[in-house]
Amino acid sequence: MGWKEAAEPVLTRMPAVRRPEGHVPFKRKLAWTAGILVLYFFLTNIALLGLQGGEATDIFGEFRSVLAGEMGSLMQVGIGPIVTASIVLQLLGGANLLGLDTDDPRDQVLYQGLQKLLVIIMTALTALPMVFAGGFLPAQQSLALGGLEFGQTEIQVLMFTQIFIGGILILYMDEVVSKWGIGSGIGLFIIASVSQRLVTGFIQPSADGFFYDWYRILTGQIETGSLVSGDGLYTLLLGEGQIVALLTTLLIFSIVVYAESVRVEIPLSHARVKGARGRFPVKLIYASVLPMILVRALQANIQFMGQILNSQWAGMPAWLGNYSGEEPVSGFFYYTAPIYSPQDWMWWTGAVTQDAWMVLIRISVDLTFMVIGGAIFAIFWVETTNMGPEATARQIQNSGMQIPGFRQNVGVIEKVMERYIPQVTVIGGALVGLLAVWANMLGTVGGVTGTGLLLAVSITYKLYEEIAEEQMMEMHPMMRQMFGRE
Amino acid sequence: MDKGQNTGGLMSSAGLVRYFDAEDSNAIQIDPKTVIATGVMIGVLIQLLTFVA
Repeated sequence: MGWKEAAEPVLTRMPAVRRPEGHVPFKRKLAWTAGILVLYFFLTNIALLGLQGGEATDIFGEFRSVLAGEMGSLMQVGIGPIVTASIVLQLLGGANLLGLDTDDPRDQVLYQGLQKLLVIIMTALTALPMVFAGGFLPAQQSLALGGLEFGQTEIQVLMFTQIFIGGILILYMDEVVSKWGIGSGIGLFIIASVSQRLVTGFIQPSADGFFYDWYRILTGQIETGSLVSGDGLYTLLLGEGQIVALLTTLLIFSIVVYAESVRVEIPLSHARVKGARGRFPVKLIYASVLPMILVRALQANIQFMGQILNSQWAGMPAWLGNYSGEEPVSGFFYYTAPIYSPQDWMWWTGAVTQDAWMVLIRISVDLTFMVIGGAIFAIFWVETTNMGPEATARQIQNSGMQIPGFRQNVGVIEKVMERYIPQVTVIGGALVGLLAVWANMLGTVGGVTGTGLLLAVSITYKLYEEIAEEQMMEMHPMMRQMFGRE
Repeated sequence: MDKGQNTGGLMSSAGLVRYFDAEDSNAIQIDPKTVIATGVMIGVLIQLLTFVA
């Protein structure tokens, strides 16, 4: 019990966004959400003061679309620190090392405080190497502000401060959306980032823009070669034509929407009101796709470490990693790097310099990581977000429902839930992992990555459901009591 | 029931950060408008400073 008492004075005093008193009308909720979204886009367009333009490289690399934010802007860290802090909490909570009971109000306060403190620490830890290690965000040599002259170190401190403030802003913007708006801020930022990339991937009037490239193919500005020899086919399918990427993108959309509706329905009937029936759905992607972001963030942090080591440690042994530019080409960091695009693994084309066996190892590491990691994090997620058999049984019991044909008892409902929830969680988590790797291997339009696409589609679907529910409650205030909200 | 935030009906769909109903009276309370105003102000300030520099 030691750490709780020691940390309590700090954790209970963490500043928090005020909770709305009573019900917030749907239109107001929409307004708060839209306001935060506009603010987010505004801040992604504010370049860091003191940044040397043109030379920066994004330390998040291909993870950017999942972690949101914008390179070189106030939103530099995106939701990275929040996700990393969440991993730590999930692992600690999942292994029950915290000793916090989230049903106890005092522990809830401590949990919230700890969560916030962790995010703040992670923001500092993410921002520090970005500014001070290597050339990720090169500072200007000197900067004159009014009468003040800043040297390079001072500019670096200035940039760190800006990134840090931006990270804290993201944390509070998420809190505003969670308490006053619809869905969560993190979900909103992920959708914003992925959709922006997707739309850009389609319409940007330069190379890699889908429509622009097709215009150039049709007008003969891009040499496609003969369709019979295979060169032309390659260009159209995987090269500039991006047909496979387009198909993958569309397929992921439909698979996610379909999988959202695949569920095991457990019938419920009301204990007192005859004829009042309901169903409890255990969805195939029960734990949703969010745990996937934790697995990807884990991979991102490994790559992050590799980049820092590479820039700081000249004598890095070859088994750890050999870098050409920012890309690892062999060693541990190569094998643990996820596959982002067809060019990363199609060893029979000229794009890959590694041997086939190296590529195969990398694919299998990525697959193992995503499938097993996806399943494990899904289990932790279900446990920590009160979606497990025990918690749902209690919820069903408290709503006055029972499973027809069984005694009305929490333990009995829990037994029935235990038949479905763990299995569905593991299968769902592994399936989503597989889907993400598969989409990355075939490529996606705009380079949004499979995980990004999966996240965006499933969050949008959730948001849609939530909006529908809000509107129903708005029209029938009685429904609010049924959903247990005031 | 419904201790956790974001509980959509029976299905709980919490975000990555969880907020509970319980709050400590010691905690500093921020108005949501303050968050938005701070964000806008910082953005404008840095953009202005960039123009000046």
